[in-house]
Amino acid sequence: MSLLDVRNLEVTYADGSAAVRGVDVSLEAGGKLGIAGESGCGKSTLALALLRLLPAGTRVGGEILLDGEDVLAMKWGRVRAVRWAGASIVFQGAMHSLNAVHRVGDQIAEPILLHRKATAAGARTRAGELLEQVGLPAAHARAYPHELSGGQRQRVMIAMALACDPRLIIADEPTTALDVMIQAQILRLIAGLVTEQDLALVMISHDLSVLADTCDRLAVMYAGRIVEEGPARQVFDDSRHPYGKALSGAFPRIGDPASRFAPRGLPGDPPDPAAVPTGCAFHPRCPVALESCSVDDQRLREAGAGRRAACVHVPEAAASPSAVPEPEASPHPGPGAGTDGAGIPVPGPAPSSDATGALGKPASAPPPLLSAEGLHVSFPGRHGGDTARAVDGVDLDLRAGEIVALVGESGCGKTTLARSLLGLLPPTAGRVTFDGRPLDYSSGALRTYRKRVQLVLQDPSGSLNPRHTVYDAVAEGLRIHRYGGDERAAVAEALSRAGLRPAERFFQRYPHELSGGQRQRVVIAGALVLEPKLLVADEPVASLDASVRGEILALLLRLRDELDLSALVVTHDLGLAWNIADRVAVMYLGRIVETGSVEQVLSAPRHPYTQALLSVLPDAPGEPVVLAGEPPDPSRISAGCRFHARCPVLASGEAERAGVADACLTRDPEILGGGGEEQAACHYAATSSTSNPSELIR
Amino acid sequence: MTTTTPPGPRALAWRRRGHSAARFWKQYRTRRAGVLGLAVLVLFGLIALTAPLTVGSDVQSVTEAPGQPLESPSGQFPLGTDRFGRGLLGLLIWGARVSLLVGLLAAVLSVSIGAVIGITAGHFRGRYATVMMRVTDWFLVMPTLVLAIALATVMSRSLGTIILAIGVTTWPTTARLVRAQTLAVESRPYIERAKALGGGHWHIMSRHVLPNVMPLVLAQTTLVISSAILAEATLAFLGLGDPTVISWGGLLQDAREAGAVSSGDWWYLVPPGIAIAVVALAFTLCGRAVEAVLNPRLGVAR
Amino acid sequence: MSSVQQAVVPAPAAAAPRRTAKGWAYLRYGAGKVGGAVISLLAVLVTGFFLFRLIPGDPVKTMTGGRPVSAGQLAAYRREFGLDLPMWQQFTDYCGKALTGDLGTSYQFRAPVLDKIAEALPNTLLLTGTAFVLYTALGIVLGTRAAWRHDRLGDRLSTGLALTLYSVPSFWLGLLLIIVFSVGVGPIPGLFPTGGMESGGEEGFAYVLDVAHHLVLPVITLVAVEYGQTLLVTRSALLDEMASDYLTTARAKGLRDDLVRRRHAVPNALLPTVTLIFVNLGRTVAGVILVETVFSWPGLGGLFYQALSVPDLPLVQGLFFVFATAVIVMNTLADLVYPLLDPRVGR
Repeated sequence: MSLLDVRNLEVTYADGSAAVRGVDVSLEAGGKLGIAGESGCGKSTLALALLRLLPAGTRVGGEILLDGEDVLAMKWGRVRAVRWAGASIVFQGAMHSLNAVHRVGDQIAEPILLHRKATAAGARTRAGELLEQVGLPAAHARAYPHELSGGQRQRVMIAMALACDPRLIIADEPTTALDVMIQAQILRLIAGLVTEQDLALVMISHDLSVLADTCDRLAVMYAGRIVEEGPARQVFDDSRHPYGKALSGAFPRIGDPASRFAPRGLPGDPPDPAAVPTGCAFHPRCPVALESCSVDDQRLREAGAGRRAACVHVPEAAASPSAVPEPEASPHPGPGAGTDGAGIPVPGPAPSSDATGALGKPASAPPPLLSAEGLHVSFPGRHGGDTARAVDGVDLDLRAGEIVALVGESGCGKTTLARSLLGLLPPTAGRVTFDGRPLDYSSGALRTYRKRVQLVLQDPSGSLNPRHTVYDAVAEGLRIHRYGGDERAAVAEALSRAGLRPAERFFQRYPHELSGGQRQRVVIAGALVLEPKLLVADEPVASLDASVRGEILALLLRLRDELDLSALVVTHDLGLAWNIADRVAVMYLGRIVETGSVEQVLSAPRHPYTQALLSVLPDAPGEPVVLAGEPPDPSRISAGCRFHARCPVLASGEAERAGVADACLTRDPEILGGGGEEQAACHYAATSSTSNPSELIR
Repeated sequence: MTTTTPPGPRALAWRRRGHSAARFWKQYRTRRAGVLGLAVLVLFGLIALTAPLTVGSDVQSVTEAPGQPLESPSGQFPLGTDRFGRGLLGLLIWGARVSLLVGLLAAVLSVSIGAVIGITAGHFRGRYATVMMRVTDWFLVMPTLVLAIALATVMSRSLGTIILAIGVTTWPTTARLVRAQTLAVESRPYIERAKALGGGHWHIMSRHVLPNVMPLVLAQTTLVISSAILAEATLAFLGLGDPTVISWGGLLQDAREAGAVSSGDWWYLVPPGIAIAVVALAFTLCGRAVEAVLNPRLGVAR
Repeated sequence: MSSVQQAVVPAPAAAAPRRTAKGWAYLRYGAGKVGGAVISLLAVLVTGFFLFRLIPGDPVKTMTGGRPVSAGQLAAYRREFGLDLPMWQQFTDYCGKALTGDLGTSYQFRAPVLDKIAEALPNTLLLTGTAFVLYTALGIVLGTRAAWRHDRLGDRLSTGLALTLYSVPSFWLGLLLIIVFSVGVGPIPGLFPTGGMESGGEEGFAYVLDVAHHLVLPVITLVAVEYGQTLLVTRSALLDEMASDYLTTARAKGLRDDLVRRRHAVPNALLPTVTLIFVNLGRTVAGVILVETVFSWPGLGGLFYQALSVPDLPLVQGLFFVFATAVIVMNTLADLVYPLLDPRVGR
């Protein structure tokens, strides 16, 4: 008998939106099931439904058999007894899921006191043990949630989930909003504990690559249904459903030439659970949809050994391996996707070759469009604390028509650097040069500068004033700069360029009437309308659904081709750099530690930090180098190399053998070239510039 | 529709405003308490506006009082007479004019001060904001009534004095609310986008902060009217009102001075008090309904 | 067990600096709040002086109550109260005296203002303290219930009643209560005294009962008009918390609904409520002045009304100072206590 057996689950919220529309899924004891999908696909609703945690007024149908007992038929007393003792949940965003006014130890002990016959002292001891199991000192039991970092809080959530020895753990986006390195730590922790204690795991995520790495089976949800299910690796590598294919394509494999300058995504947006399309719910976005798809609903059927998929292209009786046809070269935006699906032609393997050619000979290269020289930005510490050196000596060049990715973990200073390049934050020292002239911080000069350099922010819903229409939002820049020409024509043109056609249809819409992808296009149009030469995009797709990202990235590439627009893309996502950037700069603790062409840096990194970042990506080959601890604090930058405390090369003694360990502890490394454009700030890399140090670590 | 020339942005803007007003009303209508409050206000508004036609200004006249002092309610005087023999019903109707006028003007004054100080203190950081918030906090801890009494005592007795006394003592609550809202708006990414586009202080305050603060200000105004009406009654009751005009608070003071309490003449006291409470409650209900419609964050269902 | 203890050993060392840093942060925060309060008090002192000097009329004439007095006597009075000095000197004298606790002499009672205040203060504290405890408790309890069962009939009735009472003028409610329960209407006999604090002549326990008897109506009036505010604040603070994720966590742990409320939701919601209750104390002062006036309660509020009608400048000034000080002190206390209650503040 399965540990968990969900049969024909249907969930309809009080407002009538059908969040889950008939889900069958089962999980053996000790099994690991991943559920993937984008926002609104019903995956979190499914998690809450398993323990009957949905708000009052929600209609739930079907059966949820936990150890053979139907959770939906239980009396409330029984439900409460099963909660946490039978199955527990690790929630997303542990800051809000922990109670801010109770000590974490008490919060871990609470379910123990409730479900186990334990004394207060016994529960406290157990809480301490649990904290140690998740890699935190037991003394942290006395801490309040806000005193812990994001990663530590997530560890507390995991300790709490283990408190009553449940047989099933449900993890709902357990690593969302965490940095790559912390994410790797948490995933390893969960995987280790689950194997060690023989627990069953249901892990829910939008990130297919994470699930493929952690789970043995993978189910892909779309519009409240499972559209594909099978062994995790197979589903990720060779999906049988066009949606699964698109979703896995949205997470590029670094080093894969097919995804270089070719971000992949789908037109349109995930459907609103209140208005699910007819027929196959995916048909409006499907690149291989047939006429009949808008009418005929598809249910899961066999699609190979142990695999199921819900697509018309999967034949009734089990299938040949590549049943789903490859989409044609120019994707066909399905009916209904017209507004957003601007029919993005994926740009060819664009100017990278020219660019690299020019980069190869810096001497003859044209002067950079934008450059930072010895840039420092510090913030005074709060209450007289230490000064935070957010940007601590950065040199960076950006040439016309070039896309540069600035990569780093949160707190590394990349956002501050972007702001100071825009003139929004004055530098403490150093200078910014634009078009050969140093940036003037007088308000008149800044005003002119702002016409030429534009900002695109992470969260498109936040970047638009909810009370302004699309027209007003795009025209805002024109009005600020007292544009003399035809405002209406300029707005229309900018909207069309950003892929919102026909532009007039969007003029009077409010941001809340648009989808996430459309909003980001409006923000981009608002920047384009001033005809800038450079876009600074701060995590431009981080808050968008995976399938929508590709379209926005393709738009940036197209604008570069059509308008010769340069872009500085600030991101934590190395895959994004691989997708669209010509060059990449890796930032650590206020300093750029490695820079060069994307191919060089991401395929053969020289700085140990870059190597570690690349190694923990879910798809990376070889053994991951998981750095311990948290991203450090810019108010306490250590002497010597700023990375030395976490450096795996130093820790393994490799640096000692190369005779640079002293330098690592005492001397701040210069950023040096290792041949070609590539530069790294590492004493160790400088000694071995000819050999490949990544081989040495492993 | 598709073939005609598109209407200009201005016409579209007006149409849009019409739509949002309609949408607002549709949601407001679902709040029964708010509709009730509004109905009461419309009723009292009509009574106050038509008072010159229904009762006429003669009703205030002490010399030509139609009845005997302190008559109990009767057919001729449905609510009895006051200590000069004037019909209380007429006085009550006439008094509505002053009470509503003072409440409205005082609230507008108070909310305007509060909104300006709140927005500027939220927008400009540094010394200006510190000083402004110090001043606001100081006013906030000051017992409002004591301050208003002091002001009303210092200045000449007139309606203007009362309005000023209420207006300049009750703004800090609004200022704090508006400042908090301004800070919330200013932390939104679209403000940073506007700055990156080159927008200055005036642009950000007028185009971004103000439209987002307006709903709060609107709701706050209705709530402040309610307390201003109470404050007016209180000042009049303490004998600080304009003695030449009739207001509900003034009627209560008359009643107390005429010994209505010790003689148990409840009919003299009850109607003005109920009028005050009903109007104050009606404004409060409207304010809460407006707030709930414009700021649906409260009332989230779990 | 031993492994646990071993792991504990290094931790206090790590935790200790954080604690001390926290202590320092709190001290700095507290010093800031107290400093702010002192500035506010000085501002009150200044305002009190100038505001009441602007009141038209000659205080000496008021003192003499219109009796024919010789010019020499008037001058003597002026000298006695320091009114012959230039304004700035009056001000410095006043400040200097106020700092030593001397608030001047009442024109009306010919007694030190401080004595009059000291006499009335306990009575006010008795009335206000009783009412404050009752209306805060009532507001929090009813507000919590209303929020937890929001939009049901109980919430609507309870919130509706609170709003109605909140809209009622306190003095009017007091007068009505006197008519109904003291004077008596129809079949209801006069159950309570019409005013004052004691009937006189009682001693010991009988005295206590007598004062309690006098206390009933004023306290009811104050509680009725004030509890609504606390109720509404509590209700909306709790409604804000209701959608929070940590409540889902608590439910997922298998907690009963009332435990989720008592242990998780209410402690979070009460924190902002506490601040607002103290910020709203200024309103209570207004209520106290009116209720004491209506019920002839021999407290500061009644005294203020009397002083105002003369006008008895030093007394008005002194009382103004006392009222403002009380609110400032209570607010500062709330500010100081808040970080101790809420672990998030005062990092």
